[in-house]
Amino acid sequence: MNVDGMKVSYASHGGQAAGLFVQRPPVVVDAATLDPTRASELKSLVDAAIAAPSPAARSDKTRDEMSYTITVQDDGHETRLSQSDTTMSAEFRRLLDWLRHHPGS
Amino acid sequence: MNSRCRCINCITPPHILKKLLENPDGKVRDAALRTLLTTASLRGERRIRSLMGFAAAPSGARRTIFDCNSTTTLPSATLARSEDGRPSSDQTANDAFDGLGKTRQFYKEVFDRDSLDGNGMRLNGYVHYGSAYNNAFWNGSEMIFGDGDGVLFTDFTKSLDVIAHELTHGVTEFSAGLEYHNQSGALNESISDVFGSLVKQWAGQQTAEQADWLIGAEVFTPGTSGDALRSMKAPGKAYNNPTLGRDPQPDNMSKYVNLPDTDDGDNGGVHINSGIPNRAFYLTAIGIGGFAWEAPGHIWYASLKASSAKTDFQEFADTTYLQAGQMYGQQSAEQQAVLAAWKEVGIRISGVRALAGTATRIKKQAALTMGNGRDQDQEIMRRIDELSSQLATLTQEVASLGGGRPH
Repeated sequence: MNVDGMKVSYASHGGQAAGLFVQRPPVVVDAATLDPTRASELKSLVDAAIAAPSPAARSDKTRDEMSYTITVQDDGHETRLSQSDTTMSAEFRRLLDWLRHHPGS
Repeated sequence: MNSRCRCINCITPPHILKKLLENPDGKVRDAALRTLLTTASLRGERRIRSLMGFAAAPSGARRTIFDCNSTTTLPSATLARSEDGRPSSDQTANDAFDGLGKTRQFYKEVFDRDSLDGNGMRLNGYVHYGSAYNNAFWNGSEMIFGDGDGVLFTDFTKSLDVIAHELTHGVTEFSAGLEYHNQSGALNESISDVFGSLVKQWAGQQTAEQADWLIGAEVFTPGTSGDALRSMKAPGKAYNNPTLGRDPQPDNMSKYVNLPDTDDGDNGGVHINSGIPNRAFYLTAIGIGGFAWEAPGHIWYASLKASSAKTDFQEFADTTYLQAGQMYGQQSAEQQAVLAAWKEVGIRISGVRALAGTATRIKKQAALTMGNGRDQDQEIMRRIDELSSQLATLTQEVASLGGGRPH
């Protein structure tokens, strides 16, 4: 994967504030705008999240749980990961936390 | 009604019964309405009985609050406060504890319901979930609260109606089991808003006129411009600013928002279209007046128990009308308030629409006939008398099916 050509976006869904999220566009992080250290860090997190085993099926009894969609675009390839609060993998959570705390998110 | 008839009635799908309410034959309409009333009551009882098998063992609805210490792993959370323990040094834990207690007390004192399952289910809450987590949710058996990011949102335990909202998801799961998609999901959300708001009003002894009818007003930081997460009084007007956007809730069926049944479509807009039944409840409460947890709350609670997993707005509206008639009498002020409220949000009660339409057509036809100089008065009068008789019979039978008049 070419780090410079990578764009990672994330969107939040559901929860008590679902009305806010439903009309918000995804937050996009363009690796080309990051310094090399941060770009490399992002790539490692993305690779780990994609390689992590699929999470357990979500319970149909949860209510107001939030879910998140992370989309990775790289050289014409698109990978879409969608996981929720109660079922997300540790790798997905680490990537999500990185994206959330990225300046401008 | 004999036992054989009742048995057949129980397996008649509600949508067919609703269609029969529009049948030109008054006897058919009459039978359909009686069947709807009977099955609605049985459905609620049956649902509760079926859940008794796996409901938690009675525990006196004891409360326990755990501290997630900013992690998302519930098993590693530490005890923050228990039913017999002393108050915590952490105000968030105390707020969660108190919110669970007020909600438990509300359901017990107002609806004589012992905890969420009606069987003393234990109440567990988890505070300080995750890092800057902007939410509170029900995981199917327990409550989880985030601290907020401190920018848009603050501690979610600060809002009693949010706590009661989440716990009411448990009540709904143990009664109607409304599916969390599309209209049944929006109804599920609305039920949580209705009873969430009622717990707050009950705790503050506020009348319908005094209440703010806002959900989550306390979770916005002072720097966040907006009234609340949702407004039951004015759906679509809870917030409108560049940071949050504009409240997308509709206040009328004509503005129903069709969203995909996906995560990014909010499961068909369950948090969006809940504005419609939310406003119907608000209008009912204002129409009846006084404390909203009394007649309006009892009508909605009985209707929830009489609903099923796929109940949609129309079916729920019809049920509230029928329940209001059963509990407070046909044509009572309470029933009329329910009828007017649903009409105001663009939902007409099924049976009433058919009957009213028939009467209107007859009146128009009579006027037209008189204008044409035709001598068909006797026939018109006979049909009006017949309709009036059917209505009177229907009213008496419905009243006889009802129980005592709850407070």
